[in-house]
Amino acid sequence: MKAKISALMDGELDAHELNEPLSALGKDAEAFETWRTYHLISDALQGRALLANDCLRRVVARLADEPILIGPLPADVARPERGRWFVPSALAASIAAVALVGWMAIAPQQNSSPMLAPVAKAPQPAQVALRAAPQAPVRLPMTAATRDYLIAHQALSPRNSLQGMAPFVRSVSAESHPGKP
Amino acid sequence: MTRTLGALLLLTVAGWAQAQTTPEALDWLRKIYRATEKLSYTGTFVYQQGDRTETSRITRLAGAGGGAEKLEVLDGTPREILRTRDEIRCYLPESRTVKVDRRSDPRAFPALLPEQVDGLAEYYEVTMGEMRRIAGFMCQAIVLTPKDDLRYGYRLWADARSGMLLKAQTFDRDGQTMEQFSFTHLEIGNVSRERLRPPRAEGWHVEQAGVAPADLSRSGWSVSAELPGFRKIVEIRRMLRDAQPVAQMVYSDGLAAVSVFIEPMPGGAEAARIGISSMGAVNVYTREVANHLVTVVGEAPAASVQRIGNTVEYRPQ
Repeated sequence: MKAKISALMDGELDAHELNEPLSALGKDAEAFETWRTYHLISDALQGRALLANDCLRRVVARLADEPILIGPLPADVARPERGRWFVPSALAASIAAVALVGWMAIAPQQNSSPMLAPVAKAPQPAQVALRAAPQAPVRLPMTAATRDYLIAHQALSPRNSLQGMAPFVRSVSAESHPGKP
Repeated sequence: MTRTLGALLLLTVAGWAQAQTTPEALDWLRKIYRATEKLSYTGTFVYQQGDRTETSRITRLAGAGGGAEKLEVLDGTPREILRTRDEIRCYLPESRTVKVDRRSDPRAFPALLPEQVDGLAEYYEVTMGEMRRIAGFMCQAIVLTPKDDLRYGYRLWADARSGMLLKAQTFDRDGQTMEQFSFTHLEIGNVSRERLRPPRAEGWHVEQAGVAPADLSRSGWSVSAELPGFRKIVEIRRMLRDAQPVAQMVYSDGLAAVSVFIEPMPGGAEAARIGISSMGAVNVYTREVANHLVTVVGEAPAASVQRIGNTVEYRPQ
């Protein structure tokens, strides 16, 4: 498990490999201690300022007080590193220990469960409340049926005045008709 | 402190001054418009979106009544689209289908008219960019930077002599390119009518759009165009696929357009897919309202497409 946690921290795991170490962090005190220790080592090596010893406990206590709203995934999931989920990881390392568990649980879920991104259970007293924002839309692939709408839409777009027919290529693009390249 | 504030202020003012719409840039948009309307040309362009590229040939014959234009996709199956003054025909060989969108009144195809170009300055900062050589043509860049998050921005490169658009990029609020059209080869001038001949399609299935004007508010439907700058430009009834009547309303700020389609909920559980999908700069949002399927398609950020879709309401009268 230690090797997996190390790989997780280094961002070396593939999406399907993430579940095991992440759920271990939520359940297994030893795994979580390893996670903390590794972060401490990494902070020390890179000369980052260390936070007070009970910082994590206080952050967890504050989290217990205020429910976290997990909103819909950002629209541009293709570039997760620019998404709003980047913000927690920019926090100081110890605070991030809690936030990162949540963030990393969200990141690989973009395709499998877009409606509500689950958060790995935070350690001990923190009760992380989940609430889906209303009307959080599911992300769907483009289908052959979508092509009909694209053609109908493109025919009525004023952009044609500047660019002629070129934008029509979207409506007959191979991607809007997957499976039949 | 004062100095920092002063420097910040200076930076803000400088940035603001730099982004002001200039009459010269608006003139360039009109020049591009005239070139699109007046020139005959044939050329090859590449459409790029994400890590996908697709090469197509475009041929245009200018002439009285709007001329004629043909788009041929050169990669994969040879899909073709032919446009004349009052008709768009889409040839899809894999399904052996011709989709025909015919208008009795050609004015039913909305256009950005030269006199409307000034109106774009209300929602975009239209500025001059740098000169760059593209496909052998010395081009002038014109940049349309949106003033809010409701629409995308555009970078256009037009031939300095003719005004012909050689390259177009759509970019999001971070300046990231969402998609790009770029000519790799272009010949302006004589185009023989032969090149605009429709492909062979004997025995193919023909789908007629059967477009007719419509007034949806009369049947209880309302879409409140609360999105600043987007106003309704067309409202029609048409067929989509086979014999499936659909209402279509188009909202536009003059350049970006969003279509709202409303149709009876199709049968079958798998037919109704509620959510959002996207390709390049186009977002498609689907939801259900009063047992009808609402599909919103637009070259606008997902949030805008969704906002328009979420205002669709049905109040039986």
